[in-house]
Amino acid sequence: MAARPEEPSLHRVRHCDLLTVIVIAIVSIAVAPTVHAGEALDAIRERGTLRWGADMEGGGPFVFPSPTNEDSDRVEGFEVEIANLLAERLGAEAEFRQNPWDKLPEVLNGGSIDIVLNGYEWSPAWAEQYGTSIPYYVYELQLLGRKSDDTLLTWDDLLNPAGGPRKVAVLGGSAADLYLQSLDLDHIEIVLYDGATDAMQSVKNEIDDLDANLQDLCVWTYYQDGFPDLRAVGEPVSRGYYVIFVRQDEPELLSEINEAIIDALRDGSLREILSKYGMWNDTQAARALETNADGGFTGDLLSDDDGTRGRGNFSLRGWDVIRQRGGTLVRAAGMTVLLAALSMPLAIFIGLIVTLCRMYGPWFLGNPAALYVELVRGTPLVLQLYVIFFLLPEIGISVPPVVAAVLGLAINYSAYEAEIYRAGLQAIPKGQMEAAMALGMSKWMALKRVIIPQSTRIVIPPMTNDFIALFKDTAVCSVITVVELSKEYNIQARSTMAILELGLLTALLYMAMSYPLSVVAAKLERNLQKGQR
Amino acid sequence: MITLRNICKRFGDVPVLRDVTLHVQKGEVCVLLGPSGGGKSTLLRTINGLETFDSGEIDVGGIKLTPGKGAAHEMALSQIRQRVGMVFQQFNLFPHRTVLENVTEAPIHVLKRSKDAAVAKARELLARVGLAEKSDFKPTSLSGGQQQRVAIARALAMDPEAILFDEPTSALDPKMTAEVISVMSDLAAEGQTMIVVTHAMGFARSVGHQVHILHAGTIAESGPPAQIFEDPKSDVTREFLAEVRKTG
Repeated sequence: MAARPEEPSLHRVRHCDLLTVIVIAIVSIAVAPTVHAGEALDAIRERGTLRWGADMEGGGPFVFPSPTNEDSDRVEGFEVEIANLLAERLGAEAEFRQNPWDKLPEVLNGGSIDIVLNGYEWSPAWAEQYGTSIPYYVYELQLLGRKSDDTLLTWDDLLNPAGGPRKVAVLGGSAADLYLQSLDLDHIEIVLYDGATDAMQSVKNEIDDLDANLQDLCVWTYYQDGFPDLRAVGEPVSRGYYVIFVRQDEPELLSEINEAIIDALRDGSLREILSKYGMWNDTQAARALETNADGGFTGDLLSDDDGTRGRGNFSLRGWDVIRQRGGTLVRAAGMTVLLAALSMPLAIFIGLIVTLCRMYGPWFLGNPAALYVELVRGTPLVLQLYVIFFLLPEIGISVPPVVAAVLGLAINYSAYEAEIYRAGLQAIPKGQMEAAMALGMSKWMALKRVIIPQSTRIVIPPMTNDFIALFKDTAVCSVITVVELSKEYNIQARSTMAILELGLLTALLYMAMSYPLSVVAAKLERNLQKGQR
Repeated sequence: MITLRNICKRFGDVPVLRDVTLHVQKGEVCVLLGPSGGGKSTLLRTINGLETFDSGEIDVGGIKLTPGKGAAHEMALSQIRQRVGMVFQQFNLFPHRTVLENVTEAPIHVLKRSKDAAVAKARELLARVGLAEKSDFKPTSLSGGQQQRVAIARALAMDPEAILFDEPTSALDPKMTAEVISVMSDLAAEGQTMIVVTHAMGFARSVGHQVHILHAGTIAESGPPAQIFEDPKSDVTREFLAEVRKTG
C-alpha cells in the first residue's frame, strides 16, 4: 500500500507495464470530475450510503473477504470498521465498492465512489489533486529477513556495503520502494512486486536470491503467523500517514471526515479498532488526543491486546480452504462465463458486419471497416477497456463496468472474427456467388443463403480457438473493476496464502469452461463436414 | 426476344467485345462458336449482368439494360435474371444443399413460391433430367454429368424465357457430355430459347438454329449451321473449323 503518484524512474518499470503507466497518465489528465463540486456530502446523506472504494486484493489487515462468511461480498479489515464509523457519523450506511487499488483515485474522480479509504499514503503530490484527510493511521516500515539468514540481523547489516550486494523486495511504487530509493545505495537492488504477501513469499523461498522485504508494519503484524520462517529485522523506519481521499472542492465532506477521525481518537474508538488488528502501538499513542468521560487526558493507553488477536489465521490449508473458498471462486467463474458468453456473440455479429462491409460494401463502408480492423487489432485489449471505461464518461456516456467489459471484449474480438470470416468468405469459389446472382438473388440474399452457410464450416475451428482465448482474456477486465475468476483468485489467495490449492482449483475451473467448448466445436465441425460431403 | 445492340467492352486497354450486335428469336437455339479468347463467354455473361459492358444496349423481352449503375440498373438486372437462367461450365451447384434444395432454392426465395409447389415442380424437373432418385443427395456425391443435369433443372425451375449455357460440357468426359447434350436437345425440341457457348460441334450442327462465329470480339460470320459448316464464307470460320477438325 501507500504509493506516490510521481517519479516513475526507469528501473522501477520492471513489474509494471510501461503502457499502463502511459495510459494512467493520459487518463488522469483527461478525466476531470464529472460530478458537481461541493455536493458530495448532501448526496451521501440523501442517498443514505457512503460509497467507499478499496481493493480486497490488498488483503489483511486493510480490506479482505470475510473468512467466516460464505457471502463473498462481505468484507473485513480495519478499514471496513473505519468506513462504518465514518458512515455512522455522516448518517449513512457504509457501502463497499471493489476497485483495483491503483485505479481508486481515477474512480473517485469518475464519481462512482465518495471516498478512497485503502492505505493511500499522504504525499504533497496527492494533496494537490485530492482532498486528503488527517491520518487515520501512522504507518511505519518493517524490514523482514529469513530466520535462517545470520548475515542480516540489523539495519546496519543491510546498509553496509561490506556485507555484499543485497536484493530487497518491495511493493512497486509503495513507500517502501521510495524509501529504499532515497537511500541511494549501489549495493542494494530493489525488486518490485505487485502484492504485499507475494514479496514475503518470495523472500521466504529465496526466489531470485532475495535477501529481505521492506514491508508495512501492519501488514507484517497481520501476516506473521503465515510466515514462521521470516523475522523482523531491527526497528521500524520511515513514518508516514494513511489518509482518506475525497474529490477536490469537497471541503464540507473533508471536514466532516476529519471531525470523525478526531472524535474517534478522543473517545478511544479508533484505538479499539486498531487494537483489534494489532496495529495500536506507541506511534499511534503519541497522537495523545484521547480523553475520558470528563474530558481529561487519559495518558498513554497502549494496546490492551496481547499482540496475537489481530493476526490472520493461516492454518487453513488443503481441502479445508477449497471447501471454504471454493464457492467464491465458482461464483467468480460465473462472471467469467457471463463476460465470455455475452461478448462472443456480439463479437461474431460485429465481425460479420465489418467483413461484409469490407468485402461487399461500397468504399465508404469498406474503408472504415478495414480501418476498424487494423485499429482494433493493432491496439491492446487493456487500452480499449480503458478507453471505454474511463474516457467514454468524458463525452457523457457512462457505462457500468460489466457492460464496458463485454463491450471491450466484443470490440477486440470482432476484429479477429472479421479477419477469420474474410478468409472464410474468400475460400468460397466465385462461381457460387455468380450462380446465386444468376438465379435472381440479391447480393445480400446470396450471402445469407449461399456464401455464409458454406463459410461457416471453414471458420468454426479458428472461431473456437478465439472463444477459448476470449475466456482467458476476460481476466484483463479486472483493470476496469470487474471481479472475475482471476481477480477473485488473487483476492482469495492473498488473503489465505493458499496459493497452490486455490491456484489448482482456478486452473481446473478454467479448464472446465474451455474443454467442453473444444468438444462441442469438434463435434460441430464433424457434423458440418458430414453435411457437406 | 433477346437483342444485343452495339455491345462494346474493354478490359483496361484490351477490347474484348467490339460493337457486337445479335438477335435471338423466341424458341431459337443460338450457338456461339469461335476460338478461345474470342469473347464468347464474355458476351454471354453480359446478357445477365455477370459482366458489365461499356456501351450499347441489351433488350430482354422488353427489359432494357444499358451500361451504368443505380437502382434502375439493378432493377433491370434483377428482372432479367429472373427471366433468363444460366448453366455454368463448373456447374456451381450449392454444395451445402441437397439436389432438391438446389432446385427449389430460387423459386422459394426469389419468386416467393410456396414450398409445396416448388418441391413438386422440382421433382418433376429432376425426373425429366433423369435424376428423380438423387433428390436427397448432396451435389458432391454426384458425377459431373449428373451435377450438370441438376444445374439445368435448377435453371428450368425458374420457368426461364431463355437459358444461357456457358460451355456446359467442357468439364465433362464424352459419356457425361452425351447425357447433358441429350437433355439440352430435348429442351431445344420443346421450344426452349437457348444461347449456348460450346465446343460441342455435333450439338451446334444438329440442334442449333443459328450459329455465330466470334473472333477477336466481333461476330465474324452468322448463319444456319448447315451453311456455316458446309459453306463458310469467312476465313476466320474456315480456319476455326479446320483447327477443330484437326484436334478432334
